[in-house]
Amino acid sequence: MNVQDAVSVLNAELMVRGDGFLKDIKHVVASDLMSDVLLVDEDDMLLLTSLASDQVLRTAQIVGAVAVIVVNGKSLPSSMKQVATDLGMTLAVSQQSKFDACIAIHHAMSK
Amino acid sequence: MENAAPQSTATPIMPEKSAGKTSPADIRHQPLVLLELIQRLKVRDVMTRDVICLERCIPLWEAQRLMKEKHISGIPVVEDGRLYGLISTDDIICAIEGGYIAQPCGHYMTTKLVVLEDDMPLSFAIQYFDRFHFGRFPVLNRERALVGIICQRDINRALLDELSEEFNRMEKSSARSMQQELDTSTYMLRDFPVAKYDFENAGKAANAIKTAMIERKFSPKVVRRVAVAAYELEINLCVHSNGGILSWQINNGRSEIVAKDEGPGIEDIAWACRDGTSTANEWIRSLGFGAGLGLVNVKRVSDEFEITSAVGVGTTVRSVVNIGTPSENQET
Repeated sequence: MNVQDAVSVLNAELMVRGDGFLKDIKHVVASDLMSDVLLVDEDDMLLLTSLASDQVLRTAQIVGAVAVIVVNGKSLPSSMKQVATDLGMTLAVSQQSKFDACIAIHHAMSK
Repeated sequence: MENAAPQSTATPIMPEKSAGKTSPADIRHQPLVLLELIQRLKVRDVMTRDVICLERCIPLWEAQRLMKEKHISGIPVVEDGRLYGLISTDDIICAIEGGYIAQPCGHYMTTKLVVLEDDMPLSFAIQYFDRFHFGRFPVLNRERALVGIICQRDINRALLDELSEEFNRMEKSSARSMQQELDTSTYMLRDFPVAKYDFENAGKAANAIKTAMIERKFSPKVVRRVAVAAYELEINLCVHSNGGILSWQINNGRSEIVAKDEGPGIEDIAWACRDGTSTANEWIRSLGFGAGLGLVNVKRVSDEFEITSAVGVGTTVRSVVNIGTPSENQET
């Protein structure tokens, strides 16, 4: 499954198409705690979070995530799109809850 | 408002602190030096501390007289240090028109107030002047006591003073940068100032460090360790300190990051370095940080880790990662 597929599975609205849009996702991390995300040592990671802030993108960039999907239909601060563009990070928003999003992604990756 | 006061107390609408992450376009397009300045300066640095106040029982005509005499357009209504409301020129005009200028201020004051906290960055104040179009904002401290008032004239005056000092600092910094440019690609030294609660810019230093290492073709594994250490320390400076400097150098196959702040210092270093312990407040936690994992994580990714601190003086954290040279890196 690549980032494009994940966006599709979650019926997410694509806000920024980043450099890793067609990259395969090897790991998925779902967290609102950026301190936890920073502990993850996995490459090509998708971050699911209900936190909508610039720091989510910066954290994702530091750990080498390929995309951030904001769940719970959170509205994004106006600066977030620009930061995602600057970082080359794919950014999308899904109306699904984090729990449902995790299940949907798990099912899709298990196929 | 915490510690809700009696019924007639003002209902301050506290600014959403997370709003500090987003600036109006006119703020974002300011020169960087100005952006840094409005993040570094706190509301308390700019506000007028000697606030002219009234008590609720004082008649409105006295407020009118004070406004005329002191050339001010709004007077907080305060008792025992607590803010109850505000009388503005609009309230006075209404009182004159309505024929109740002799009535007490407490009956006709504005009670739904937007207030600022004294330790907020100046950028908040600028955003709130833009958003609410008020002439002034009362300023409260953490105990919710009125400690000042801020108007746009205060901001203009403070910015002019600070800009002058900032340009002097920049001239000195520029001379230092020129010296750094002489360094070779295997030796780098960079300083990044980090301001307290400056979430708009927090992470940019770590991003710059990561980018510089990628450009020098260090392996992703090494880059990640250095970037994580830099980011955690940068966020720590932003969240826990009164501001400081994140310094980074690579030399002789080692990346060294030093985060040095100007206080408040750590009372119990062993406690602070324990997994899950943090002094971060709810606001910081709502931004996804403050779980007490930062220093633990820095230690985890570092080959050498050192922390010294003195309460009231400051804290210095040093993280070293053995990175080798880019060519050695690629071989591993």
